[in-house]
This record gives sequence, C-alpha cells and structure tokens, in this order.
Amino acid sequence: MTTLENHIEGRFSVGTVIRSIIQNRVLFLILLIVLLSLFAGTTYDTFFTQANLKAVILNIAIDSIVSVGMMILLVSGMFDLTVGSVLGFTGAIAALCLDKLGMHPSLAVLIAVASGVCIGAFNGIIVAKVGVNHLIMGLAMLGVVRGIILLIIGSGIHRLPVEFLNISDGTFLGFRLPIWYMVVIALFFAFMLRKNNFFRRYYYIGGNEKAAAFSGINVPMMRIVSFMISGGLSGIAGVILTAKLAASIPTLGTGLELRSITACILGGASLAGGYGTILGSFLGVLFMGLVNNLMIVSRVAISWQSIVVSGILLIAVTIDALLKKSEQ
Amino acid sequence: MGKQSYIVFQGITKTFPGVKALDDVSFSISAGEVHAIVGENGAGKSTLINVVAGNYHPDSGQLEIKGKQEKIRNYAEALDMGISVVYQERSLVPNLSVAENIFADRQPRTFCGFINKKKMYAESEKICESIKLDVRPNTLVGNLIPAKQQMVEIAKALSNDSELLILDEPTATITENETEILFRVIKELKRKGISIIYISHRLQEIFNIADRVTVLKDGKYVGTRVISEVKVGDVIRMMVGRDIYAEKYRSSLKEEKVLEVRNFSSKKFHDVSFELKHGEVLCFAGLAGAGRSEVARAVIGADPLEEGEIYIHGTRKRIANPEQAIENGIGYLPEDRKEQGLFLEMAISKNIVSGNLDSVSKNQIINEKEVQRVSEEYREKLRIICPSVTTKVKQLSGGNQQKIVFAKWLLANPEILIVDEPTRGIDVGAKAEIYRIIRELASQGTSIIVISSDLPEVLTLSDRIIVMYNGTITGELTRHEATEENIMHLASGFERKEEMMV
Amino acid sequence: MNTLEKRFSFSRLLENRAAFLGILIVLIGLASSIIFKAFFTPINMKSLILNLSTEAIVAIGMMILLISGCFDLSAGSVFGLSGAIAARMMYINHYPVWISVLMGLVTCIAVGAFNGFLIAKIGVNPLIVTLAMMGLVRGLVRIAAGTGLIGFPAAFTNIAGTTLLGLRMPVWYMVVLTILFSYLVSKTVFFRKFYYMGANEQAAKLSGINVVRTRIISFMLMSGLAGLAGIIFSSRIESALSTLGVGMELRSITACVLGGASLAGGQGGVLGAVLGTLFVAVINNLMIIGRVSTYWQKVVTGTILLTAVTLDAVISRQKAD
Repeated sequence: MTTLENHIEGRFSVGTVIRSIIQNRVLFLILLIVLLSLFAGTTYDTFFTQANLKAVILNIAIDSIVSVGMMILLVSGMFDLTVGSVLGFTGAIAALCLDKLGMHPSLAVLIAVASGVCIGAFNGIIVAKVGVNHLIMGLAMLGVVRGIILLIIGSGIHRLPVEFLNISDGTFLGFRLPIWYMVVIALFFAFMLRKNNFFRRYYYIGGNEKAAAFSGINVPMMRIVSFMISGGLSGIAGVILTAKLAASIPTLGTGLELRSITACILGGASLAGGYGTILGSFLGVLFMGLVNNLMIVSRVAISWQSIVVSGILLIAVTIDALLKKSEQ
Repeated sequence: MGKQSYIVFQGITKTFPGVKALDDVSFSISAGEVHAIVGENGAGKSTLINVVAGNYHPDSGQLEIKGKQEKIRNYAEALDMGISVVYQERSLVPNLSVAENIFADRQPRTFCGFINKKKMYAESEKICESIKLDVRPNTLVGNLIPAKQQMVEIAKALSNDSELLILDEPTATITENETEILFRVIKELKRKGISIIYISHRLQEIFNIADRVTVLKDGKYVGTRVISEVKVGDVIRMMVGRDIYAEKYRSSLKEEKVLEVRNFSSKKFHDVSFELKHGEVLCFAGLAGAGRSEVARAVIGADPLEEGEIYIHGTRKRIANPEQAIENGIGYLPEDRKEQGLFLEMAISKNIVSGNLDSVSKNQIINEKEVQRVSEEYREKLRIICPSVTTKVKQLSGGNQQKIVFAKWLLANPEILIVDEPTRGIDVGAKAEIYRIIRELASQGTSIIVISSDLPEVLTLSDRIIVMYNGTITGELTRHEATEENIMHLASGFERKEEMMV
Repeated sequence: MNTLEKRFSFSRLLENRAAFLGILIVLIGLASSIIFKAFFTPINMKSLILNLSTEAIVAIGMMILLISGCFDLSAGSVFGLSGAIAARMMYINHYPVWISVLMGLVTCIAVGAFNGFLIAKIGVNPLIVTLAMMGLVRGLVRIAAGTGLIGFPAAFTNIAGTTLLGLRMPVWYMVVLTILFSYLVSKTVFFRKFYYMGANEQAAKLSGINVVRTRIISFMLMSGLAGLAGIIFSSRIESALSTLGVGMELRSITACVLGGASLAGGQGGVLGAVLGTLFVAVINNLMIIGRVSTYWQKVVTGTILLTAVTLDAVISRQKAD
C-alpha cells in the first residue's frame, strides 16, 4: 500500500520485494493459497481430486457471499456484526413462508431476502442517523435477531418443499448452483466497486470522511445503503444455506460475523477504512476454506483450524503494524 | 501595471465573536499574476481565503470578480465561478489512483453511472501534462512523494477549469528541493493566464515566485507592493511594528545552567543546541512549521530523536518518554490544549490533579477532599471562571481552559516548564493573566521555555529569544536587542546580517 | 451552558448510571415480588445470584478495560481456558489441585499479556487482536478439554461447592472482588490513570502516564479475572467443557455498557458492571418465572441494550446542540 516511489532511491533489494508482497495483501494471499495447495496436494492424495475441490468451493460459497457485503462496509470504515443472525433469520422467514404459509418458493425467497434488507436498513439508520457506535449496535442487534429466530421457529423447521431445496441442490454445467450465485454476486460487486461511481464513493468515505462529505457525498445515505446491501446478501446466503441443509435451525450462522471479518482483514481490508477489494475478500474466504479442508483431509482436530487461521491473521496484522511503525 | 483586475476586494469586513478578523480590507488582484498575501498568525489571511471561497460571508463590503459584483454563497458557487482552493490539509484518498482523486466525485461517465476509465485517464493526463506534472494517472496517490501529492491536489483544483487558484501554505509539507517542482507548475499556470493567490510565511519563496505582495496586519490592509521594487526588510516592516507594547517584565534569572540541549536532530529539525538558565524565560520564536514544537516534544521524549544529548544540571539524562521527562523535572503544555492537554469530558478538579496524583493521595489512595481543596486553591489563585470545580472542562472558555492546564502544571511543579503557544485563541484579558502566571513562576525559580508565534508576546515575556526557521536555529537575541523586525527577519530564514534589517 | 444544572434533573441522574440502574433494579424487584410470588423467595434469590456470580467477575474485568478505552473479545475463550487447563492437569496428569489451578490462571494472564503487548506496544487494533485470540484460545480450549472432562478431586469442586453462611462460595468471591475492585478503581492512583487514558490517551501520555505498561497490565487483569471466573465455574458444574464461555464477552460488554461504560473510554465504574450484570440476570429470571418463553430472553436483552445506547446517543446529541 505504501512503497515509496522508486525514483527516490531505486533500490530493489530482496527486502523491499518481500515487503511489497506482504503489503500487497492480494498477492500475499495468492502466494499462501498456492503454497498451501501444493503442500496439501503432495501430502494427501485426496486433496487434488475434483470432488474435494468442488466441495471446497461449495463450502465457501456462503461465507463468500456474506463477505462481499462485509468488505463493502469495511471499505467505508464500518462492519456488521449481525450478518450471522440475519442469515439465520432470513432462512427462518423463508422456512416459515414455505412450511406454515404454503407460499411458492420464489415468493418466499423474495420475502426472506427483503427481510434481510429491512434489518440492514434499520441497522444503517441507527448507526448513520442516530449515531450509535456500530460495534455496540451490532452486538445488540445480533442478540435481538437471534432471539427473534428462536421465537418464530422454536427448535427448527425441517420440512421444506423440494422446489426450494433445488436452490442449492441444482447444478449447472457440473457445478452446484450456490457456486454460481457466489461467482455472479462477487463479479457483480467487484465490478461495481471498481467502476461504478456510486460504489467508488465508499472508498472516499472510508479514506477521508470529512473530505468526502465536503465533496458533496451524502455519507449517511450511503452508509444506510451499505448496511442494506450487507443485510440483503446475508439474506441470500441464508436462503441458500437453509436450502442446502434442508432445514432452518436457530443456530444457523453463529460465528459467521467474526469469520467474515477475519476473511476480509486477511484479504486486505483495514478497520480504519478505505482499503480492500472484493477479490481480497474472496481470497480470504478461500484461504480459510482451504485450511478447513486441509484439516479435514489430514484428519487434524478441528480445534487446530481456528488456531491456525487466527494465528495467520495475527501475523498478518502484526507485520502490517510493524511496517507502519518503521515508516514513521 | 495595466493588467486587468481579476478580483477586487472593496471594504471587506468580517467579525467573529470577540475578534475582527477582517477590517475594511480593499485591494485588487490582477489576472494572470502570482499575488502573495502575507501577515502574521491572526492577520486575517485564512479569513480572506474563506471569503473568496464562499465559506464565510463578509459582514460588509463587496467582492468584484472580472468586473462584476458577486456574492459567493458557498464553495460550490465559487467552483462554478472558476475559483478553487488548495488547503494545507490533504483532501486526497491515498489508495485511489491519481485520476480518481483528481476527479473525486465527478468522474467522466458512460450511461448508468459507470466510470469511463479511458476518458478519465485521458483527461487526467491532459491536466497533469498542462502543469508539467509527471505522474501516471493510475498510480496510487499514497505511493507518491509529498510534493507530487501536492501537485495532484493542484491538478484536482484545476480539473475544474479554474481561473483563480488559491494556494494556502503550499510548501508547508514539502521539502525545499521539492519546492522547485511546485514553482515550475506555478510558472506554467501563470503562462496560461491563471491567477494565483499564494499564502505563505516563507518570505524567501515569495520573493522567488510572486509578482506582487499584499500585507495584512491584525485584520487590516497595510499595503501592496511589486516584488521587484521592494526589499524583504520593507515587507517585514509592514508586517510587524505596533505602537502598543505590553510592559516588559523584570528578569529574575540566575546564571546557573539548568538545561542544555546539544545537537538535537530528527526528521523535523536539524542540529539544534541551546541552554536554559535558572529562572529564565526563554522564548522560541518562529513561524508555523519552523520545528519548535517538534524540538519540545523531542526534549520530553514524546517523539523519537535521531541524534542529540540532553543535560540537566550538567548531568547527561536519557529521556525516552514523557514519564521520564516529568521524573527529571520537565513539564510540557502542548500547543493543542483540547486534543492533548485536557480531558474535556472530565471535571476541572480531575484535570488539575492529572499531572501529580501523588500530591493529593497518601499510600496510593486518592484523597478526594484534598483534590477539592487543591482545585479550589488554584481556582482562586488563577482566577478561573467556572460554576464549580466539578464542572466539565469542555464547558469553559479557551482562556479558562488554558488556565486549567497551567494549574495542572503548577501543581506538578516541575523545574523546567515548556509552554507551547500559551495564549492561542485566548482573549486579551486572559492573555495578561497568563503572562502574569508565567512571570511569577519564573520569579519563583522555574525555568521556562515559551514557544510562541506572537511577536509582542515574545517581546513581553522573554529574557532571551531563540529563533528557528525550517528546523534550524537561525539566531539568538537578548531582550534588549530584540525587535519585532529582527525577530521576523530571523524567523523568515534570513541570516543575521545588518544590511537586511535596513 | 452558563445556567447551573438543576440539582436533581433527570439527565443528571442518567449520568450516574450505577445509581440509575440500582434504583431501576429495586423498582423492578419490588414490582416483581408483588406480581410473582416466586420471585422474592430465598431459593430464587440464591440461585439468581449464584448464576450471575461468575459473569459479574468477568464483567468487572471488562469494565476496567472499557474505562481505559479498550475491550477484549477473547474473554469468553479465556474463561474456558483456565478450567480446561486445570482440568487436564488434574485429570490426565494428576497434578495436585492447587498447581493445576495456578497453571490455569497463569496461562490466562499470559494470554492477557500477549494481547496487551500486541495492542499497546505494537499498535495493532484491539478488535482484531482480541477477535483473533478469541478463535485461537478457543482452539486451545478444545484441545485441552477434548469433548469435556469430568470427575474432579474434591479439593477442586470445593472451590465453588462449599457454602458459607448459607450462600455458595462463588457468591462470596463475587462480593469480595466487587468490593475490592470497586474501592481500588475509584480510589487508587493506579486505576485513576485508566480513566485518564480512556478519556484522552494523548493527554494522558503527556501527563506522564506510561500508557503502554498500564494497558498491558489492564489486559492481564482482564484475562486473570476471566480465568478466575472460569475456574470457579468449572468447579461449580464439576466439569470442563469446550464450549464454556462462548458468547460471554458480548454479554459482559452488554452488562458494562448498561452499567455506564462508553466504548470511547473514560467512563464507568465497577459497581456499574455488577449492577448491569444483575439487571440482565433479573430480567432473565423474571422471564423464567413468568413462564415467558426463554426464546424471548435474547430479544429482550438486546432490545434493552439497543434502547439504552440509542437514548445515550440522542441525549448527547441534544446536549451538543
């Protein structure tokens, strides 16, 4: 992010190259992913099989969709702790519509995703208009929404029509549909964030909020929209996951928010705002998915997974902080 | 000179509560010239810029632009009229490209609001080309050296088809070598007929680049001169020199050396050495950005030091953080009292004891009665105006807030006190009281360093004056030989030569 | 601004959050004892206080951090860690009880030191550090405790099992710690510095406060208290589960914010933390007695928190205007 212009002292030592790679988080992640895959592939025969790789990509689809929304928020300097609860909530709404109200799947999905958007709007208004700190708001809402899930579906709904399940079970060109949803959503928002004027503004807001407001950007409105996007994407993810599990259970999505933030930070986002790309968030999720898969394939206890991922996150941000310090 | 006027100020007056920032200012700026505006802090330069930019509306007077009377209601209108300002604070986003920053929110677009990258890059190349700025449009701004970032700010202002460009302290954040780049750009702009208002403290630069210079003093217009027809000394004389001086205080210093700083160097200052005597009031004069606060912060260990030694009572000391500074008897009142000196949300009493909790506690347990008593004592001694000592500090006026910072350090009772801009933003009455406090402290044996950009204040308080410019000490004056003019000479970077002061 | 504030104005009362909460709890308690016969019985009161005792201890640690302007998302995982390590050492390695407990506590304090070091010395964002540590330590808990360890020597279960004057030990631990820290935090020079650090870190540094060292100590204190609470809880339920403490950090931040802490720092008190915990516990208890579905608990707690902070934000906005 901040290598000095070469014309000053054209030095290209190994040190500066390594430094640049670490600072370009996307490159760093790609390197890690490649190394990890090579290691996994050579050590375990089952890794590089089509079935396994497809399973990996499928498993990260949910997290990846949610992380798109989280990355947009992080670029603008915020984050959303309610994504996990919203995911469970929208799944529950969809299940209710299908099971108790006998709605057509498409209508149920529509209502479910809309409910996610509404929660997002509520979050955004509280943060941007009322002025409550986004961490606390997220903490409070995550409990409220999780509680509402319990209220509306109790122990869960396990009876869902087949047409609904096809949302996740169906395949297209040999890949399960959720993978396609993920690809479309990621590509769409990646494109928008790079090219579309409206979305580009999130970088201005995250980079220098005062200057952004001074240029005439309606910061509160844009923040509300970003929360709505996060809520909507969590909603889509909730529908997909519920279809995949063929059930709506109240614990769906617990821990998602922290995983998602971890993936985005790994992918180059900064809590201060102004940094990050959709590609980065995808790579972050992919990396975590690979580690998860490697643990399973090598039959290492799941406990080590969180240790490894957390450890890598810590190393990455520590190096960041040290580099920043040495530059001052 | 026969040039057409671009802007004419006619009797502009602007008052804020308690201060007349601009008082009947009238002069004109010609089209296609580089017009410098100089004056001390508080002379009215920023207010004038803000009037032109539409951020302030004058209480009385007219603004004439290209021959027509205009009322500029906000910055957007100013932009429409072809006026843009490049402020000192960066408005750039470091991890977006040069092109994106230049066009900020006004990127050239295709339908549906999608950014036409090709067109944007082409346009930004054109603008950069026009000011001979050598950057690729897709470079991230964060990767550019500060001078080029400054250029991008200018390009951003220009992308607006500006006819008048106002530069506010453009060289404050760039090195002297990089200034060359800036001047090339300015010359190019002039060639195209763009008018430039150049605000700066650095008289040498102004004599290098400007065509004419206007001097403001205490909100009033003093005069405009053609650069080629005037000497630096004349300009300085116009900037300073008042009829009223505050009384000079009696000196109470002893010859004993209390503090000695040798060869202090860091990124912000170079080879600074000085001494401080017992009971002395030593003033560090200079213009904003001279490096005085940075030296002070290095003395107390708040900022890292690359080179240098510090001696207290002749013994070498290591001061790596403010805690050690206080242990060694050095206290520091920061320049920005709100951000760094006070706990705004806390009560007055809590603020007063924050530097010396041990004095109001026994065995590490705080005695609230003692806190109250001490606070009341200082409230009376310093004549702090407040409903009670439990009032939150943020509710007080600037002068009273500063008194609280003083109270805190009086309680901490260091041997050496460094005070950075003690009367910034404070009314005349409170100023006098603060001077009294400082002088009384000195007479009781505290050795004081006062950093100040206020020349009358420097002359009032000091036993001795050290002047800095651009990170180095340019000269030292005793209270007897110091005048506003020769301080300003040294502060503007000129050597202490007798001819220059004519 | 120049008018003197009215002595007993509503906003003044709100500002002293602990007092406000205390009054609120008393009022609710009185109302409940009239409406629900089962509320004010010794059995209910005892179990209520017993259940919240360990949460309160963690909340005390969290409040201290919040006062200094930080927070610790790994508190819940650390809560589980101490019990897991102690259990493993007793169960598998057959170390004496007191060594196992000590090791459990020492490990937790080490985690705190690590957190503090990264945050205060290196300068990494507290949210990320404690978020990552939350996952990392939870992994360690799972490794140490496996699927769960049961069967402890009597010496261990007695930590929480013994009764004194009719109340179980955890309650007494909570009472002692509350009184101790309440006094320390409000009266001592050392903890006063936390308030200054939270209110304005820059000004605190220039006032001579060693921010780095104090921060590291504050995180060690947080983790130490969380570890202590974890040991007590493990002893009480006579087992060490790998899920111990999940969600605890968020609950304790909630309790602290209700009790007067601000995320910005510089505000709050130990009593507020305990009262906040008590408040949430009372509400939950009422819902159980009133046979309100337990599913409502989360909704109610979250709504209370949201209402409280929204009111805060609105009031401070009005003040600024």
